[in-house]
Formats: sequence, structure tokens, C-alpha cells
Amino acid sequence: MVRFLCRRLLLMIPLIIGITFISFSAMSLVPGNFLTGLAMNPQISPQVIRQMQAEFGLNEPLLRRYLNWLWQAIHLNLGVSLQYRVGVITLIESRALNTLILSVSSMVFTWLLAIPLGVVVAVKQNSILDRVLSSMAFLGMSIPAFFLAFLALDFAVWVNKPWLPVGGTFSPDYANLGPWSKLADRVDHLILPVLVLGVAGMASLMRLMRSQILEIKRADFVRTARAKGLPESLVIGKHVLRNALNPFVTMAGYALADLLSGAALIEAVMNLQGLGLLLLNAVQSLDVPLVMGSVLMGTVLLLVGNLLADLALVAVDPRVDFGSLASQ
Amino acid sequence: MVKIRSRLCVVVLATAAFTACRVNRIQNDHSIAQTLYQGMGSDPGTFNPILVTDASSGMAIEDLFEGLVKINPKTTLPEPDLAQSWDISNGGRTITFHLRHDVRWSDGVGFSARDVLFTMRAIYDPRVPNSMISSLTVDGRPLEVEAPDDYTVVVKLPRPFAPLLYAIGVPIVPEHVLGKALATGQFNRTWGIDTRPDDLICLGPYRMQRYVPGQLLAFKRNPDYWMRDERGGRLPRLKGQVLMIATDRNAMYLRFISGLLDVYRPRAEEVWELQQKQGELHIKLQPTGVDTGSRFFAFNRNPRHYIHNGKMDPKYKWFTDINFMRALAHALDKRGIINLCYRGLAVPAIADISPADRIFHNPNLKDYEYDLKLAARILDEAGYRLLRPGVRGDPEGHPIVFELTTPTGNPTADQICAIYKQDLAALGIKVNYRPLEFISLVKKLDSTFDWDCVLIGFTGTIEPNNAANFLRSSGNLHIWNPREPHPATPWEAEIDRLLDAGTRVMDPYQRAPYYWRIQQILHDQLPIIETVREIGYVAYRDSLENFDETTWGVYKPEWIQFRH
Repeated sequence: MVRFLCRRLLLMIPLIIGITFISFSAMSLVPGNFLTGLAMNPQISPQVIRQMQAEFGLNEPLLRRYLNWLWQAIHLNLGVSLQYRVGVITLIESRALNTLILSVSSMVFTWLLAIPLGVVVAVKQNSILDRVLSSMAFLGMSIPAFFLAFLALDFAVWVNKPWLPVGGTFSPDYANLGPWSKLADRVDHLILPVLVLGVAGMASLMRLMRSQILEIKRADFVRTARAKGLPESLVIGKHVLRNALNPFVTMAGYALADLLSGAALIEAVMNLQGLGLLLLNAVQSLDVPLVMGSVLMGTVLLLVGNLLADLALVAVDPRVDFGSLASQ
Repeated sequence: MVKIRSRLCVVVLATAAFTACRVNRIQNDHSIAQTLYQGMGSDPGTFNPILVTDASSGMAIEDLFEGLVKINPKTTLPEPDLAQSWDISNGGRTITFHLRHDVRWSDGVGFSARDVLFTMRAIYDPRVPNSMISSLTVDGRPLEVEAPDDYTVVVKLPRPFAPLLYAIGVPIVPEHVLGKALATGQFNRTWGIDTRPDDLICLGPYRMQRYVPGQLLAFKRNPDYWMRDERGGRLPRLKGQVLMIATDRNAMYLRFISGLLDVYRPRAEEVWELQQKQGELHIKLQPTGVDTGSRFFAFNRNPRHYIHNGKMDPKYKWFTDINFMRALAHALDKRGIINLCYRGLAVPAIADISPADRIFHNPNLKDYEYDLKLAARILDEAGYRLLRPGVRGDPEGHPIVFELTTPTGNPTADQICAIYKQDLAALGIKVNYRPLEFISLVKKLDSTFDWDCVLIGFTGTIEPNNAANFLRSSGNLHIWNPREPHPATPWEAEIDRLLDAGTRVMDPYQRAPYYWRIQQILHDQLPIIETVREIGYVAYRDSLENFDETTWGVYKPEWIQFRH
């Protein structure tokens, strides 16, 4: 176990360096830089742009800039955003909580509904319930999330009730509310985004669960369980479900990286102050330090999530051990 | 199965219970709170007035800081602000500003001439990159600013320079707060968006109360604001303002419809719908005026782009041939563009300066009427004949083909280009339309010069000299041939002379003829072909009083209030 952990942790170092270097080079290979857009502003003279270029160190060669960035990052300093002239960590912090609240609640919503529903439709295969839920799942998968977000906002305008607000993370008078009203206000503003984010994710999860169960239902050990007279609920609940959960454990690991990646399109449409939009803007305006900060964060979360998923798999599935994981 | 079903029930019940136990509270009423809610397109980049380079930051600090003078959006003339009056002496070389005595910073310290000197020092500091320095530089030299006493500021100029009164209204920042940061070189990192609102020491009609990134900026009235209304009442009349940040235009529209925002500037396609719903939504809809900027097709006349392996590309001849350009101007269907892209809510642009610029716009120019037959005749007579049906060639027999580009992501620009491309095809001119990512396009316009024709727009300002970078032959935004060592043509030389002469006359009405002549030259020589200007609209709650917006901004915003 310890050897496995050490090995995996050591492997992360070259991975992180590789990923960040590729992202850094990709950002630098794009024509122009953060200041190019300013060149079309008649109020800004070329001298000012040259000054800023020197101030941000954009004249130095690529490798030098990357090493500078890496050296700072090792010291937990992600630099200063070019757009905002504020520390990258401060910027990410200011949005991280909202993104976290949104992604955790939509994930809980998705998983809590998708897994039981997946089981139900698999058990009642080809029934009317299965058909209806499956068609809904396909519908949910095929409607683009941002479009669904617009429909949801239109719906909110049509309903026109204070508990179904038209976008935003909280009401403008939030600061003057009592603690319970604050919580209620937050929940109000989460209803539509969670529904929109949930519907798309739920569909695929539910389909996956269904096919997993259908596959395992035909396995020999299930027939054995039935043959020895176990009630159907126990067969499904204990034997089928536990075996069907394996891919979900791995998926939960990946989900860790998704927690802080945000959903830029939904954030733009529903006006949520998340990380997704911040980073989309950063990429568009070539704000390298901000983009790199988020790449680093995403990479670390993905690698750690993967590691945790593997550890959980060992705990859940007795057929998997550290030896077989290491040889993969 | 029973077990699963019961578990599912618990989840459903819990969700239902949670949404049902609502805490009731009164809906926020803007008119009772006397708080105006407006939308804003993106987050501010900085709260430091000197470092602002984007529109959102400008909006965020607009009501916090003031300058010596401000521009009246109706008369388009400078008016007193922190300076209650000024005299011009020494033939326009000396301007003396007399400052108000009754202005205090939000921390109680009195405002004085020292703050003005400090602001100018910050702008001229080589370590502080800012967008104000270029308009406060005369012939490459900074202004001499002195303060003989605490409430007088004297500005000395090397020569009479009329645009100064339009440029001197820069937001004044407090020396006692920022002085140390400038001295230690930390100025660029002060008053960023992570500053506590109370630490932004300001003196305008409002103070910042709260900034929630991605969400809103809240302001409350400055109780010590110096301005009074005609009966001596306190101003501003509103108790507060909120700028709600909404990145998506459609989302912003929905927020206005649902009553979350009080003011909204609709796009052409939304105007009609709002007009229909005025009564139902309790709003008023008013035109604000013609767009201040100009959007035009520019043609590359830069010889550096056209010489390949010692041979001159024939395009250079076409785009510098006045007959060819006149034919192209007659082929632009401005009426069609207005009806198709702007739902009729635009006017043909004829002069480079918008009619919104009351004094400097030249109203006497005659537009190139849309007439494809006339365009074909002009081309035929100038030797650009049809080589075969649908393909026109130049006098040397090269078929006429060129590239047209514009920044991506603007549907209106795409439509304009499509219309133009179609009309030029009818003349036998082939246009390859290829929109480009903004940054790549800037690269081409600014340094590689590898382009033929571009549809691009500039925003306008009241002071016409602010466009000098575009008009002057040595300017870096002289788009058709940037940074010419010497004026390439006699008419570009004349524009250079007019630009110089136009800044030496102090009276705006006496200056106007110089800029009228510049517009005439651009209109005759056609380095650019003007397209159309949109008519702006504003929609606002009908309970708002004294709300009067022009295309240059809101007139007397301090008087705005909700009806009681």
C-alpha cells in the first residue's frame, strides 16, 4: 500500500510538469498576446503597450517564462493576473466556493436520482416506465445544456415568482438578509442551475447503470443466488448492485476534477459567478498566469481524484488489489 | 425492491420538504429603496481610475471620481466640475482652473490642488502605463502643471491646444492615500478589484458599498456630495445604485423584462418587442441618438504589403485608383443593410464623424448612392472591363479578386459583408470572405499588413483630435497605411496639416471647419467606405423621473429619482 502510494505520488511530478509545459507553450504559440487587443484602442499609444509588455515580462523567451512560472508555482505563488492585476490565487478563491456549491449540489442531485432510476428501469426492462424514462434520458442527453438554461430562464420569467429567480447566485439585497433567509435565497437560486446541469448528467448515468445491471443480471452468480431462494430485492440490492457499482467508483474519482472546473456556458447564461467563465475569459484574452493557475489546479485534482478512485476500488471490490493496479 | 422504493421515497420527500419550507420575505422594491439597478457586461478589471483601459472598469468608477471639468452630453461642451471656473490667457497657452473649496474625500480630508498635481504626476510616471497620457501630451511634451495656492491650478502649454479642455477631465485621485504607492513603485498594484470598498477614498456622488465578483457592484449615496439642485436640495436624489454583472446579453434582457433591472439598452431586434410591451411592463422606450462611432470598409493601400519578389501586386493599383474606389462605394447597399441588419433602426453613415458630434460633424457631404449600373459604368470607363460574363478584370487583364475580413463573433458584421460580397459579385468582382479572430486580425492590421479589405469599427469621442492616431499619416492606427514616414499622398499631407491647425484654435465653433474639411477629404478620396450608424434606444421603468439619456451619456444623472 505504502509502496503503491509512493510510486503514484512520484509519477505525478513528471505528469504535472508535462501537462503544464504543454499548456504554457500552447498559450504562447497563439498569435499575439494579452496586449495585442489594446493596440486597436486609439487612446493607447504604442509606448504604453511597450511599457506594459516589459512590465509583464512578455518579451522573454518561452522557456525562461515557463521556468519562472514553475519556480513561483513551487513556492505556491501562482503570479498575478494580467487582466485584473490581482493574485491568481485570490481570483480563484473568490469564485471557488460558488462553483463548489453548484457542482456538489448538482452532482448529489444527479447521482441520487440517476442510480436508483437506473436500477428501476433495468429491473423493469421493456416496461412502459423503462420506455418513458429512457426516452426522457435521450432527450436530456441531446438538448445542449446552454439551450436548456435559456428555456429554464424563460420559464422563470413566465412563472414570475420570487422563489424562482432569473439567474444569479443570490438576490441583490442578500447582504441585508438573516441567516435563514440567506440560505433560502441561495437554494432558490440553485434550483434552475442544478436542474439544468443535472438533467444532462443524469441521462448518461442512468443509461450506464441500466446497462450494467442488465449485464450482471444474466451472470451465473445471480442465477445461483436466485436458485438458493433469496428474495428478489436482496438479489438486486446485494449481489447485482454491488457488482454494478465498479465503473461508478472510477467515475467518482474523475468527478473530483470536475468539481472546480465550472460550466462556462451555463454560468454565462444563468449569470453564476463561477470559475468556468473566469477561465474562459482568461483563455480568450490570453491571460497566461490565470489560465496556468487553473490548469495546475485541474491537473492536481484530476490526478488526486484518480488515485482516490483506485484506492476506493480496492476497498469496494475484493477482486482488485494493489498489485494488479500497479501493473496496469 | 421494496427497500429501494422506500429509499427513493425518502429522497423525493426530503427534496419536497426542503423546497416547501420557504422563508417568506418581502420582494425588494427599487422605488421604495430609491436604488437604481443597471446591467453591466463584464467584471471590472481595476478600481484604480488611472489604470482603467476597459469599459467595465470605467463604469465601475464613473460615479466615484470626478475631474476638473466634465462634458455636457447635450451641448457636447466642457462644463465646470471640480473646477468651478477657468480662464484662458496668454493666447491659449495658459489655462487657470479655480477649484471648488467645499469638496471632501470620503475619509474627511479636503480636496485641494495637491491632488490634481499628484494625479498628473501619476499619469506622466513612466512606471504607470495608462491611456490618458497620449491626450495630455502636446507635440510630444507633457503639460506644465503648477499650483500657486491650494485652490488654483495653472496649466501651461507649449502652444495653444484646444483638445486640452476635453482631455483634462481625468479622474482626480487622492494624494494622501496613493502618494506612498506611487513613490515606491507600487501604484500599478493599488486599488485592484480585491480592494475593500471602504479603502477606495473617493469624492464623487456615490461611494462603493460592495463588490461581488461576477454578480454585482453596489453603491450608496455620498452624503457630503457638493452638488445641490436648484432649490438647494441634496444631490444625488437616488439613495443607491447597483450594477448587476450579466455576461450574456439575452440573460440581461430577461432580467430587465422580469423587473430586476431598471434600465436596459436594447439591441435593434429587441426594440420592437419592448415597444409593444411598454404598457404591460411599465416601461418607457426612447431613442438616444445616432451611434458615436463609425464602421467602415478599409482598403489596404500599404505598398509594403503588395511587393512580392520585387513585383507589385495589381491590388495596390485598384485600391489607390479613385475610379475603382468610387465604383465600390456606389455598390454598397446601405438601405438594404439598415433594413436587414438593423430592422430599419440605423442611418446611412456619410461623414467619418458621427452626427451625434453636433459641432464637428460635417452635414454637407453627399452620399454615394447605391447604384450598381452606375458602378458598372464607372468601372467600364476606367478600363475595368468584363473579361467574361461575371468576371471583371483590371486594365492589364488581371481578374479582380480580393479578400474581405472582419473580427469573428459579430453577426451584424457577417451580414453586412455578405450583402456587400453579393453586390460586388454582380459587378464581376470576386470577394473571398474570411472572418478572423480579433487578436489575429489586429496582428495583421498592426504588424504584418497582410490583408486586402477589412470591415472594422471605431468608437467615437466628442473631441475629434482623439482620432488623430487614425487620421494622421504617421499614426499607428492609420489603418490603410500605418506609420508612413512621409505622407504618401497630397491629401494625406493636407489632413496632417488640418489636424495641426485644428488644435490651435480654442473656440469649438471656429475649430469645426478644419474637421469638416478632413471629413470631406476622406469622403472624396475613399481610403475607407463608411457603412451605417445604428440608432440607439434606452428602455427604463416608467416610475423613473428625470431620466434623460443621450448617445454621449446620461444628462444630469444626479437628478434621477423614482416617483414616490
